[in-house]
Amino acid sequence: MLVVAPSILAASPAALLAALTPSLTLAEPATFDLWQRLLLLALILGSGWLFWQRFGIVVRRILAARKDADFQIFPLGRRIWDFFWEVLCQAKVIRERPLPGLAHAFVFWSFLAFALVTTNHIATGFGLGFLDPAGVFGRFYFLLAAVFALLCAVSIAGLFVRRFFVRPIWLAHKDNTVSAESGIIAGLIFLLMATYLAAYWVPSGSTAALVLWWLHTLTLLSFLPLVPHTKHLHLILSPLTVFLSRGSFSRIPPLADDDDFGLVTGRDITQLTALQVYSCVECGRCTEHCPAANTGKELNPREIILGLRGYLNEYGPGSEEPLLGRYNSQQAAFQCTTCGSCEFQCPVGIEHLPVIVGLRRGAVNTGEWEDDHGGKLFLALERNGNALGMAQTEREKFLAREELPVFDGSQEYCLWLGCMGGYDPKGREIIRSFVQVMRFLGTSYGVLRREKCTGDPARRLGNDLVFQQLAESNLENLAQNKVRKIISICPHCVRTIAEDWKAYGTPPEIEHHSEFLARHQARMPAPAAQSGTTVFHDPCYLGRYRNVYDEPRSIAAVSGTLVEAERSRERSFCCGAGGGLAFLGEEQGARVSETRVGQLVATGASTIAAACPFCNTMFRDALASRGDTAPQLLDIAQIAAAALPPMPASNPADGQPSPV
Amino acid sequence: MKIIVAIKQVPERDARIRIDSSGRWIALDDIEFRMNESDAYALEEALLLKEAHGGEVIVLSAGPERVGQTIREALAKGADRGIHIASDSLASLDALGVARLMAAAIADEHPDLILTGLQSDDLGLGQTGVILAELLGIPHSSLILKIEKIESGLRLLRELEDGWFQHITLPTPALLTIQSGNTKLRYATLMGIKKAKTKELRTVDAASLGTGSQPSLLLDSVALPSRQKTTQMLPGSPAEAAAALVAKLQQEVRVL
Repeated sequence: MLVVAPSILAASPAALLAALTPSLTLAEPATFDLWQRLLLLALILGSGWLFWQRFGIVVRRILAARKDADFQIFPLGRRIWDFFWEVLCQAKVIRERPLPGLAHAFVFWSFLAFALVTTNHIATGFGLGFLDPAGVFGRFYFLLAAVFALLCAVSIAGLFVRRFFVRPIWLAHKDNTVSAESGIIAGLIFLLMATYLAAYWVPSGSTAALVLWWLHTLTLLSFLPLVPHTKHLHLILSPLTVFLSRGSFSRIPPLADDDDFGLVTGRDITQLTALQVYSCVECGRCTEHCPAANTGKELNPREIILGLRGYLNEYGPGSEEPLLGRYNSQQAAFQCTTCGSCEFQCPVGIEHLPVIVGLRRGAVNTGEWEDDHGGKLFLALERNGNALGMAQTEREKFLAREELPVFDGSQEYCLWLGCMGGYDPKGREIIRSFVQVMRFLGTSYGVLRREKCTGDPARRLGNDLVFQQLAESNLENLAQNKVRKIISICPHCVRTIAEDWKAYGTPPEIEHHSEFLARHQARMPAPAAQSGTTVFHDPCYLGRYRNVYDEPRSIAAVSGTLVEAERSRERSFCCGAGGGLAFLGEEQGARVSETRVGQLVATGASTIAAACPFCNTMFRDALASRGDTAPQLLDIAQIAAAALPPMPASNPADGQPSPV
Repeated sequence: MKIIVAIKQVPERDARIRIDSSGRWIALDDIEFRMNESDAYALEEALLLKEAHGGEVIVLSAGPERVGQTIREALAKGADRGIHIASDSLASLDALGVARLMAAAIADEHPDLILTGLQSDDLGLGQTGVILAELLGIPHSSLILKIEKIESGLRLLRELEDGWFQHITLPTPALLTIQSGNTKLRYATLMGIKKAKTKELRTVDAASLGTGSQPSLLLDSVALPSRQKTTQMLPGSPAEAAAALVAKLQQEVRVL
C-alpha cells in the first residue's frame, strides 16, 4: 500500500477514487529479469535449507524413536473420517472454543485455498505461471482466495489481540509469558494476506505489482524456516498426528517385550508419542479442562507433553536418562485422575493418557514409585483381591444378607458388584436399589460367588503385574461361570472390563446400569410431578470414555427438572477419584471433589444425581462439610427405585429391614 | 551381610476352610496360598538390611512344588536366590523335623543372619525358627520389631507383653523371628517378576537331606471353631448383677 501512496497524493480526486476502487483482476508483474530469477532461486533454496536444518532434526528424532509395536494402519475408514472431520472441517477446534476456533479455521482454510495461489505465485517468478488472472477460472479462483485472505487477515488479527491483550491464562507459560514468536508468525501471516489483497489495487505489470510480488515472496520465504522452530510446526505435523492416532480414547498400549516396563527412559518413547509431542501447539485446552491444574496441583498436561519435547530436544529418543527427572516430575504424573479431558479436547490429536499412564507404568513396574497409600492399595489388591483391602467373607455376608441370587448360568445378566458395590456401604445402597428395580422388571440376574477387583486402579496407576493377575483371574472365573452379559453400577468396572481386559482375553458383553435403566424406562411407572431440580454429574468413565450422556439424564430427570452445571457432558469436571487417586493420600492444593461439588451446588439444584459409586463417595465427603443446606445426593439407581410402587413388606429387597 | 530368610507358604487368610477326609488337616484343593504374613515382614527387613549394608538375601522354604511360587514372589521383591526343600509330606513332620531339614539344607551357607516370621498363620507354633537356631548353635531372639547393624553385631528392638519393649544386642551370626507390622511391605513389580525368572532357585529333595526321624509330636485332629452363643441372665438387684458380671468377666471371660 505504501508503494502506491505517492501516486495517490499527486492525483486528482477522481483518480484517487479510481485508485481506491479495486479491479477485479489480480495484478501480476510483467516480466522477471534473469537476476531476479536467480535471486528467487537462491532465496528458495536458502529458505528450504534453513527449514530443513531444523525440520530434518525433528523428523530424524521421530523416526529414531522406538516403533509402536501395536500400530496398525488399517482400517483406514476411521482415519480418513478423523482427518476429514478434525483436520479439514476443524470440527474439534470450533466445537470446543467456537469464536477463536472459527478464526483458526479461517486461517487454516485460507492456507488450503492459497496452496494453488502460492504455487502459481512462485511459478510466475520463473515465467511458468499457470493461472491467468484475466481468465475465467483464474479470475474466479483469485477472487475466492481473496475472500479467504480477507477472512484470514481479520481472524489472525483477532487471534493476535486475544493472545497478547486478552491473554487467557491457559495460553501463558509457566512463568506467565506468552511466546513472542507467535506474534511474529501472526504478523507474517497478516502480511502475506495484505500483500496478496493489495495486488487488486495496482495495475498489472506495474512496478507496484512487482514490489508487492516480492514482498509476498519474501514474507513466504521467511515464514517457512520459522515454522519448525515454533509451535507452528503443528501446521505440518498435526494432520499426520490426527491421521495416525491410536484410534480409541485413552488407549493404553500393550507392553512390547520383556524389557518394556512403560515410559522409563528415552528408549521407551515411541514414534507416535514423539510425533504427538512435536505436534503440540501449546493452545492449553488440556490445561484449561484439567482437574489437577484447576485445583492448584503441579500437574499440567501441556507441560507433560512439552516436558517430553524438552527431553527429546536435549537427550534424544535413544537416551538412558530417566524421563521423570529434569523435564517431568513423578509427583505431577501421579496427580492425574485419568479423567481424559485433556486427550478429549486436544485439537492436534495428542493422546495424553497413554503418556501419563505410561510414565506411571515406568515408575511402578520398576518399583521407583514409593507411596504409602499406593503400596497399601497394591498389597490389598494382591492379597485380598479388592481395592478396599477387606476380607472376601465380608462380601459373602452381604450377598447372604441381601439374598442376592448366585449366578449359575441360567440367568440373563451377571450383576457385577465391583469393590464399591461389594464392600462400600454407599456402593451397597446403590446395588440394593438397582436390584429392587431389576426385581420389579422381572429381569433374571445373578451375582458371582467370588469376584476380584477389575484392576482399574492398578491399570491407571501403572501396575501391570497386579492388573494382569486380576484381569486373568476374573476372565477365567467369568468363563467358568459361563457369563455372557454383565451389568455394573460402576463406569470404571465397565470400561476396564470392556476395553482393558482385551489385552488378556475376550471379556463378556458389559453395560452400565444407566444404559439398562434407560432402555427399560418405559416399563417403569411414570413419576409423580416433582417440584425440585436435579443436576446430573457426568462421570468421566461414562461420558468421555463411553460416550453415554443422555441415558443417565433420562433417569435423573425422574427426581426433578434437570439443570446443567457450568461444566457438563463431554466437558464434565472430574470428581477427583479416577486414576486410582481415590485410594491415595491428601491432595496438593484444593480438593477436586470440593471444587466439583461447588460447581454442582452453584446450580441451586435440590438433588445431585450421580452414576458412579466413586463420584458418589467423593461427593458425599465433600458435601458433608457444607452442612444441612447441601442438596441430597443420589445414584440414578436410587432415583429409579424411589419411583417404584412399594413392594410387599416381606420382601427384603425393598431396602427396609424386615422383622424376621 | 549374608541373610537367609525362611518363609512358609500358608492358605490365604480368608480362604473357605474345610476339613479333609482324614480329619487331620484341611482340604487343600480349591485353596489359594500366600506367603505367611510375618515371613513377609522378615523378608522386608532382610531387603532393607541389604539395601543399607549390601550383601545377599537367600530365601529358604520347604513344601510341595507350589511353594516355588512363593519363593519366586520373594525373588521378585528383591531376594537374590532361593532354596526349595521339596517335600510332599511336610505335614507329617513336627517343628523339630522341619527345622532339621532347614539346618541341613543351609549347612554350607554360613549366613550372618537368619530371619523368620514370628509364627505361621496356619499352625502358629512359633517354634521352627528358634529350634533352627539351637540346631545351628547360634544365638536367637524372637518378636523382633527393629534391626540395627552395629559394630559388635546387632542392636534389636523386641516387643514384650503389655506394651513393653526391650532393646538388646546380639553378636552375629544370629537368628531372629520377626513380628509383623513394623515396616511397610513393598509391592511386587513387573520388573521384579521378570528378573526373578533369571535368578537361581535350587531345589533340594527333603529325603536326600538324611534327617529322617520320627516326629515326637503328632497332629491328631483339626476342627473348625464352632460358633457358640449363649445368653445368661444374671439375677438379683442391679448391684448384685453388676458384681456377678464383674466376677464372670474376670474369671470366665478374662477380659478384665
